[in-house]
Amino acid sequence: MSNLVYLMSSLPSLSFEEIPPISLSEFNQDAKDQLSGKHFQILESTDIQMDISNTAKSGSGAVNILLNEVYQDISELRKAKRHNRQAKLERLPILVTNGNPLMREKQIMHYLWEELDSIESGKRFSMTELMVYKLKLQILWRLSSFNTDAGAAVLDSVVNPSKKEEVQ
Amino acid sequence: MAGLKIKYTKTERARQKKILKVSERMLPLFEAMEKSLMASVNSISERIEEIREQIEQNRLAARDWVAVMSDSWVDISNFISINKIISKPVDVAGVRVQQFESVDFELMPIGEETPLWVDDAIILMQNQLQLMAEIKCLQEQIVLLEEELLDVRARVKLFENRRIPNAKIAIRKIGQKLQDDERLTIATAKVVKTSKQKELSP
Repeated sequence: MSNLVYLMSSLPSLSFEEIPPISLSEFNQDAKDQLSGKHFQILESTDIQMDISNTAKSGSGAVNILLNEVYQDISELRKAKRHNRQAKLERLPILVTNGNPLMREKQIMHYLWEELDSIESGKRFSMTELMVYKLKLQILWRLSSFNTDAGAAVLDSVVNPSKKEEVQ
Repeated sequence: MAGLKIKYTKTERARQKKILKVSERMLPLFEAMEKSLMASVNSISERIEEIREQIEQNRLAARDWVAVMSDSWVDISNFISINKIISKPVDVAGVRVQQFESVDFELMPIGEETPLWVDDAIILMQNQLQLMAEIKCLQEQIVLLEEELLDVRARVKLFENRRIPNAKIAIRKIGQKLQDDERLTIATAKVVKTSKQKELSP
């Protein structure tokens, strides 16, 4: 417990859309150093990129439920679009799905962030708080990977591979 | 014309007249073919420009959200690739070329948890790849049409600068030579006749 308190106290605070103050590998290393094997295993199995076909995960039930429902909604949105019908969403507010693809991803991440905030409130120095921290850090790293120039280069590399070869 | 060897015979004159007649009939055909090929090349070039504008418009339309394609969670290049470009043979200005039909894509199934932007990106990439493939087909058409255009232009020049002028010169020269020969024959005959008459007279 004292190690968990020490770990949580040593981690920098996170706020939405800021540049991540710590890398995921640094976070994992710190957690590995401070946590017991069992706790670290729980933390390691927590991942925002959830495989909804395999939801039997250890860790916080509330976190798993949140991620599971959000991914179910993403799946439902995809199906609804494919079949040209209105999506029936369990968790995501429909407003989150408006806008261009970039805005949509940011809005979904923002929604997840706020939901994670509500999950961790009142659970100071707990494994839930640590898992939420990891998920938030993953969100920040994902958001920081969105870059116009890099995205345009990715598009070019698929659409115009000769251009990519020329650059290389 | 220098070095042109002419047989000064009536048969050769007839042959040259035939060459002139055929050449004068063929020249407008080749000129029409040249115009048709040039028009085709121009219209294909215009179509390429239109497609390039379309590609640029699509790119600009995606500019506001293209940043998402560098998502650290997804490697979009794994989701789409081209199997093959489908085209069919058609005749353009008398030249057999391949006309773009469609693109057969290899699409990786999208998992349920895959971010939603992947669907939009695949649609955009399919559009852009189809347009690029059409440009490729059109550029290949231009290469074939330009090869044919060079050939036709060479023929037009051959008829305009060599065949027709040469035949005309040959016909004129043979005509002059034959006339000279005829005058010479008549003059010789007259001389012979006069000398015979002198011999016979007492």
